[in-house]
Amino acid sequence: MAGIKLENLIKSYGDTRILHGIDADIADGEMIVVVGPSGCGKSTLLRMVAGLEAVTAGRILIGERVVNDLEPSQRDIAMVFQNYALYPHMTVRQNMAYGLKIRGMSRAEIARRVDEAADILELRPYLDRKPRQLSGGQRQRVAMGRAIVRHPQVFLFDEPLSNLDAKLRVQMRLEIRKLQRRLGVTSIYVTHDQVEAMTLGDRLMVLNKGVVEQFGSPIELYERPASVFVAGFIGSPAMNFLPVRVEGDAAILPNGARLPAPARAAGEATLGARPEHLTPDEAGPVAVEVEVLEQLGAATLVHGRLEGTQHEMTVQLDGVRAPEAGRIMRFAPGQLHLFDAASGKRLAD
Amino acid sequence: MLKRVHFPASPLPYLLVAPQVLITLVFFIWPASQALWQSFLIEDAFGLSTEFVWFENFEALFHDSQYLASFWRTLVFSGAVAFLSMSFALALAAFADHVGRGAGTYRTLLIWPYAVAPVLAGALWLFMFNPTLGILPYLLEMVGYEWNHHLNGTQAMLLVILAAAWKQVAYNFLFYLAAMQSIPRSVIEAAAIDGAGPVRRFFSIVFPLISPTTFFLLVINAVYAFFDTFGIIHAVTQGGPANATTTLVYKVFNDGFVGLDLGGSAAQSVILMALVIALTAVQFRFVEKRVEY
Ligand SMILES: Nc1ncnc2c1ncn2[C@@H]1O[C@H](COP(=O)(O)OP(=O)(O)OP(=O)(O)O)[C@@H](O)[C@H]1O
Ligand SMILES: [Mg+2]
Repeated sequence: MAGIKLENLIKSYGDTRILHGIDADIADGEMIVVVGPSGCGKSTLLRMVAGLEAVTAGRILIGERVVNDLEPSQRDIAMVFQNYALYPHMTVRQNMAYGLKIRGMSRAEIARRVDEAADILELRPYLDRKPRQLSGGQRQRVAMGRAIVRHPQVFLFDEPLSNLDAKLRVQMRLEIRKLQRRLGVTSIYVTHDQVEAMTLGDRLMVLNKGVVEQFGSPIELYERPASVFVAGFIGSPAMNFLPVRVEGDAAILPNGARLPAPARAAGEATLGARPEHLTPDEAGPVAVEVEVLEQLGAATLVHGRLEGTQHEMTVQLDGVRAPEAGRIMRFAPGQLHLFDAASGKRLAD
Repeated sequence: MLKRVHFPASPLPYLLVAPQVLITLVFFIWPASQALWQSFLIEDAFGLSTEFVWFENFEALFHDSQYLASFWRTLVFSGAVAFLSMSFALALAAFADHVGRGAGTYRTLLIWPYAVAPVLAGALWLFMFNPTLGILPYLLEMVGYEWNHHLNGTQAMLLVILAAAWKQVAYNFLFYLAAMQSIPRSVIEAAAIDGAGPVRRFFSIVFPLISPTTFFLLVINAVYAFFDTFGIIHAVTQGGPANATTTLVYKVFNDGFVGLDLGGSAAQSVILMALVIALTAVQFRFVEKRVEY
């Protein structure tokens, strides 16, 4: 078993820099999730760890070894691809056995490991089928099986669930989590789905344009987002942002309403309030002109604008509510966040 | 009920297909039926009388040891041409699939031989291997090997095989490269992570996955070697020495235009025609059906 260490990892294609110095220290057996919008460099980072992309600068360590110049096969990793990348002309059994056979393992040991993996993943009935005779979820499991039979030191996942339907995705998400816990293999999991990220990761690395915005536990990211970007990315529905002027310990909203400032600052700043942290209160300072209601059953989403301004706001209320559109609703703020107006960085509490 | 769309009757579609139909009639159907008719006739030595003899021409062919020999020769020739050009093209495609920079130039250069007319291809190889002037016999002589395809039948055969295969490499290369590039990158990467080196990846993953292309090219190359190599053989060896390079298609020409045995030549071309039709049928039958993994 081994941890992973990334030291000032840089990737450029020609003159274009894709990753700008990534640092991370991943403990043995930990599962970290790299999350960020499309094109931010998540796959590139993962593929560098796998050895499928050359490292421009910096170091990658797996265990105590620097693996920068090692072939993928020498890094003792296994990877699950978004499109599963199963060998179409081989049966499920052959797919799983391929890597073991290359490593010259005995027939008996191969059979034992494949059967073990097939039991864990409930693939027994499908061992003699070709990939095209399997459903998406089953193929996904075969891809997992191919990874686990190798007993590698590191699992790498590149959006392995994004080709599945919503229900299967939730189910497989749980299975991956259980499996990773059970095997205790250090894992890096790439996704652009923040719910997947929150539920799977021991820690999350939020990546934006090749820069780490924040690296921490899901709760840390939720409660103390380091930047406007992280605050807006983590949590659903997304956080509300309003430009404010801070005077002493008051934050003044664009429509003149005054809220207690959550951090010390002076002048222009960005105030963040999560939709679920605004509570209906007749005397509350935040007035919202309601435009649209979304009934989700367990909750109701109120979409509207800050009274007297064009700033859009979303509020999440428990249960079924029916405030008619056009009405003004007032809210009291719970937890608030304050960010620097220019850099978007969190201001110290 | 779905409503059928009715187009008003118009002569336009007929006009549009007319040129194609005309070409097929004039250049295929008509000569083919001529040949079929001819193959049932025997003409006397002076061309004064013809006699309808049913299948006598065919019977004569299958008792003619020369014809049977040329049948085997053609099989060897086709097999060698197909194998050589396909394996060479496969190797080139495997490398082209790897190179990043300059790939475009590399590909264009490799496609050129296909644009060369068969006769010219033959002439090219003829010059290179000319026993008195050619560069290769000169080099071979330095290592003590005597090259003279005018005298040595095996060498003559080797030469036409090389020339014919060379011309077909470009075509095979294009198909192989396209087939390789349609294999998802991640499958190859998965194999690399599984520990397979480039050679092993090629034989255990790439080659099995492009097997439909291999089959398709096998038929195409066989047809090519059977029928399209007339120009090369004519330019390089004229079927000689001592018929060592007289393939079926060359024999048709030789017996008909040189030997003036019109009936026998026609019978041979009918047999060739039957072979093409059979090969094409095989092709359609199996390539249409996606090959199973
Ligand atoms: N071979 C390449 N040459 C040049 N640029 C590349 C290459 N591969 C990727 N990029 C660029 O690198 C950036 C990061 O790509 P990457 O695939 O890592 O994104 P990602 O975060 O995985 O996105 P997604 O969520 O869409 O998969 C993109 O802007 C992409 O255009
Ligand atoms: Mg990606």
